[in-house]
Amino acid sequence: MLVYTTCTIRNSKKEIDLMAAKKLQAFWNHPAGPKTIHFWAPTFKWGISIANIADFSKPPEKLSYPQQLAVTFTGLIWTRYSLVITPKNWNLFSVNVAMAGTGLYQLSRKIKHDYLSETEAAVAKE
Amino acid sequence: MEILKTLWKSPIGPKTTHFWGPVFNWSLPIAAYVDRNKPPEQISGRMTGVLCVYSALFMRFAWMVQPRNLHLLVCHAANETVQLYQFSRWVNAQGSSPQQEKEEPES
Repeated sequence: MLVYTTCTIRNSKKEIDLMAAKKLQAFWNHPAGPKTIHFWAPTFKWGISIANIADFSKPPEKLSYPQQLAVTFTGLIWTRYSLVITPKNWNLFSVNVAMAGTGLYQLSRKIKHDYLSETEAAVAKE
Repeated sequence: MEILKTLWKSPIGPKTTHFWGPVFNWSLPIAAYVDRNKPPEQISGRMTGVLCVYSALFMRFAWMVQPRNLHLLVCHAANETVQLYQFSRWVNAQGSSPQQEKEEPES
């Protein structure tokens, strides 16, 4: 009974190894896989959102309205386009959702700083 | 007229998403162009550096993708140029501003 069980588990592991190897090979050799620009260009686009998140700690005076507006709007437009193209590209979708999200947050920080502090200064003068 | 017809029917023409996506991507180089004269202290070296690598990768992508997208290529070539310019301004400002603050009280 014990021999049967261990044999079955060992064979199942071999089957799983074979499946994993096949899937990894399929990924590695895919025409849009990690040997191609079709993989790395959209993957690197995450860097824009990561850089923006790292810039969350920057003082709002140093943020750029044109740049953050551009990041937000390209993010929003490409979020839609990634679902309209064939095939639907969920990686492209998610990276652009992130871009739009971080852009909107940075814009809200700068707008709050530029317009909320004006009202605070006005109140302080009174 | 023939040129216009060819452009209209092109696989990357205005009836396709391959055209309008890059149209909106132009907002990035235009934003950087608008910001070309702002003080270097306001430039985010991190973001500008990332955009330089991003546009380099997407220039290659635009060339290799099917259909080949020259509109996207030109858009990213423009962005690469402006971002490199902004990055160089940021780099040059890195060496000087903290040192100048230290040097002035000494002299």
